[in-house]
Amino acid sequence: MTAMTELRRCSRCTIPETHETIVFDDQGVCNVCRGHEFKKESIDWTAREEEFAALIEQSRGKYSHDCIIPFSGGKDSTYTLYHMITKYKVKPLVVQFDHGFLRQRMLENNVRTLKKMGCDFLSFRPNWRVVRKLMLESLKRKGDFCWHCHTGIYSYPMQIAVKFQIPLLVWGEPSAEYTSYYGYDEQEEVDEKRFNRWVNLGITADDMVGMIDGVEPRELDPFRYPTYKELRKLGVRSVCLGSYYPWDVKTQSEIIERELGWQGNEVEGVPPEYQYEKIECYMQGVRDYLKFLKRGYGRTAHLTSIDIRNGRLAREEAMRMLQEFDGKRPPSLDLFLDFVGIDEEEFLDLAVSHIVSPWQPEVAKIPDGRKLHDMGTWDRTIPLTEI
Amino acid sequence: MSNRVAIIDYGVGNLHSARNALELAGAEVVVTSRAEEIVKADRLVLPGVGAFGECAKNLRASGVTEAIEEHVLQRGKPIFGICVGFQLLSREGHEMGIHPGLGWLPATVRKLETGGLKIPHVGWNEIEPVVDAVLFDGLRRSPTFYFTHSYALVPDEPGIDAAFCNYGERFTAAILRDNVFATQFHPEKSQENGLKILENFLRWNP
Amino acid sequence: MLKKRIIPKLLLRNGRNVKGVKFTELRDTGSPVTNARIYDAQGADELIFLDIEASGANRKILYDTITKTASEVFMPFCVGGGIRTVDDVRQLLLAGADKISVNTQAVERPDLVSEGAALFGVQCMVVSIDFKRHGPACKVYTHGGTVATELDVLDHAQQSVARGAGEILLTSIDRDGTMQGYDLEITKRVADAVDVPVIASGGAGTLQHLCDVIADAHASAVAVGSLFHFTDQSPIKARAFMHVRGIDVRSERTGTTAI
Repeated sequence: MTAMTELRRCSRCTIPETHETIVFDDQGVCNVCRGHEFKKESIDWTAREEEFAALIEQSRGKYSHDCIIPFSGGKDSTYTLYHMITKYKVKPLVVQFDHGFLRQRMLENNVRTLKKMGCDFLSFRPNWRVVRKLMLESLKRKGDFCWHCHTGIYSYPMQIAVKFQIPLLVWGEPSAEYTSYYGYDEQEEVDEKRFNRWVNLGITADDMVGMIDGVEPRELDPFRYPTYKELRKLGVRSVCLGSYYPWDVKTQSEIIERELGWQGNEVEGVPPEYQYEKIECYMQGVRDYLKFLKRGYGRTAHLTSIDIRNGRLAREEAMRMLQEFDGKRPPSLDLFLDFVGIDEEEFLDLAVSHIVSPWQPEVAKIPDGRKLHDMGTWDRTIPLTEI
Repeated sequence: MSNRVAIIDYGVGNLHSARNALELAGAEVVVTSRAEEIVKADRLVLPGVGAFGECAKNLRASGVTEAIEEHVLQRGKPIFGICVGFQLLSREGHEMGIHPGLGWLPATVRKLETGGLKIPHVGWNEIEPVVDAVLFDGLRRSPTFYFTHSYALVPDEPGIDAAFCNYGERFTAAILRDNVFATQFHPEKSQENGLKILENFLRWNP
Repeated sequence: MLKKRIIPKLLLRNGRNVKGVKFTELRDTGSPVTNARIYDAQGADELIFLDIEASGANRKILYDTITKTASEVFMPFCVGGGIRTVDDVRQLLLAGADKISVNTQAVERPDLVSEGAALFGVQCMVVSIDFKRHGPACKVYTHGGTVATELDVLDHAQQSVARGAGEILLTSIDRDGTMQGYDLEITKRVADAVDVPVIASGGAGTLQHLCDVIADAHASAVAVGSLFHFTDQSPIKARAFMHVRGIDVRSERTGTTAI
């Protein structure tokens, strides 16, 4: 058994050795922190901004919309939409992939945001009967049930780009904010390579076809990345706003709260001061719990690490917070187990089979987390039939 | 400017990867053993896998050596030699006997002296470019490339080396002279670094 | 320095990838071409495809798969399964393979190895050895692990190298798919006895196992099946883990040279 505090961590932030792709240098500083140094010190943001403005001009006024903005309604996509409309005056097509667990307050935020901004909006929610199977299969194979959401979020807007022939997509934060799959020194295109590198957990729709029963290949189309040929023909560019503009989650959340009346929410396992984070999914608590079981840290480690990198929090305080908030059993787990049709013992066995060494959780001793205020309103429907 | 690349096909195995990689890098590619295609091309690629002697024999038998030499050595067409296609540019190869090469470069090819390390040298190794050339643009410091070989090209004297690699000994990983560029490693198998170097080749105007 | 290689190993059956335990209990693990694209994006160093249902009727599926893969990923890959003649080797090389792995024929008709090496170079010929322990002895198996031979694994490896094998792919049938770790003892014995690189295979279940077989058993490369198929590990995550633990792997896309 390992205690959370026994994991080796970055000497600067609180990210432990079990974090995907983490590497510590001679001074014990992790590569994500080093990437942030690069972001702050070595990038000519003015030049990047000019490059971005030129990119937008290439498509302005030429298609049904100037660009597509993939949108969940969380803090990052809401800020992206706000920034694109107020600063660049674009006419975007806002595209949402609805994973099936959107929370009420977020939906209300969306209505407000879209009305205030004034833009066309498309939302797509995939077949729930299929989604349940996908959740269970990806949980079994990868210890991560979010395959349908991650593949859908990144494929579906690309499909819409092809359908509507809109060659520019603007996403929010670059992945270097959280991981080191890409560095801030690289041009991170939100393309199929990025999709394959980690977004899809190493499983494409074509792979999934043979892994689950009772689902036709076409039913997996919402999760399928468009072909390279289609995208190249369209000349698509799919970029992160955060590659051209220094991302700052905290400041941006304040802006959308003030300007759009965007409201945060409490989230399982997240300290109250971070109520802007991950409010868009009522399965978020289970996702973070799984991460804790596999890797020994939760969302608090992430959030506090970003604050540390931005000079807003001391490491000791962060360590105290993550011990208080990470690693609780979320009450939403019961709901999740009903959805995928397994019991808690099976769930824990699956989670434990995906543990990242040297972490060893003491499963029997995990305390219960607190129930969220709106949990009673979450939809619990199970499909009528399996056919 | 058109970017027509002729990959010289002299019967030494699979050229799919080279073709596809160059196409992805933006070239119009023909895989050919005909002199007229060499005349029409803007750039040439000389591939090669297997044994030096076998490759040299096949290249001579293909009947395009003259056209290649005319267009590269006299008319200055850029050429990229890969692996055994790199070694063939030497005077002679000492693999299973002594076999003459094209003799464009003052160099010979002999077995790697690895000091006990395993042979073949197979896998990804770092190269150290020693010239400032457009061919290495956009690569990070000590970029890795895919090698698979047991023999090394050894120049008679320094001057044509473009990059080195270490494997038991420090050997020539790439050469550059005028319009001739060649690498011991396989750019068409070296993922992003390889595609980058092929892209660079397409915009190289020696 | 030459990097230690991380090599996903993909078993082909009827145009799909499968993976089992100890060569049985096969589960579908996806489409070969999309798997290859994924591993390419995740920075795998190389790929191994083994056709485990290598009958004549399925040969076309294999060639098509190889051709399609070679046109979409720019990394080295090795193909094996059902290779009987020099012409089979040539066909697969022309389809786009870089190396050919022979297993049963390396036992039944060992000249195939020397003929292939003479024609296509030693770098092209990989001898794949499946073995099982029997008390202190360690015997070579052929035909997808179904037929026992009297050959000792070390003798067979050395003889294969003498005939022109450029690499040895060494698979423990006992460990295959169990995710309990590589057979370190046998791997070390073979790796220390031959001059060519040894690719360890069979048993990887954690990233630590990959480090162990390289550091303790002197493998030049690790073949990985279940660990990448059935857990959320991937070559890019493996690299970061191994790099931190002092194994010299490619680090270009882990962010270490990003600074």
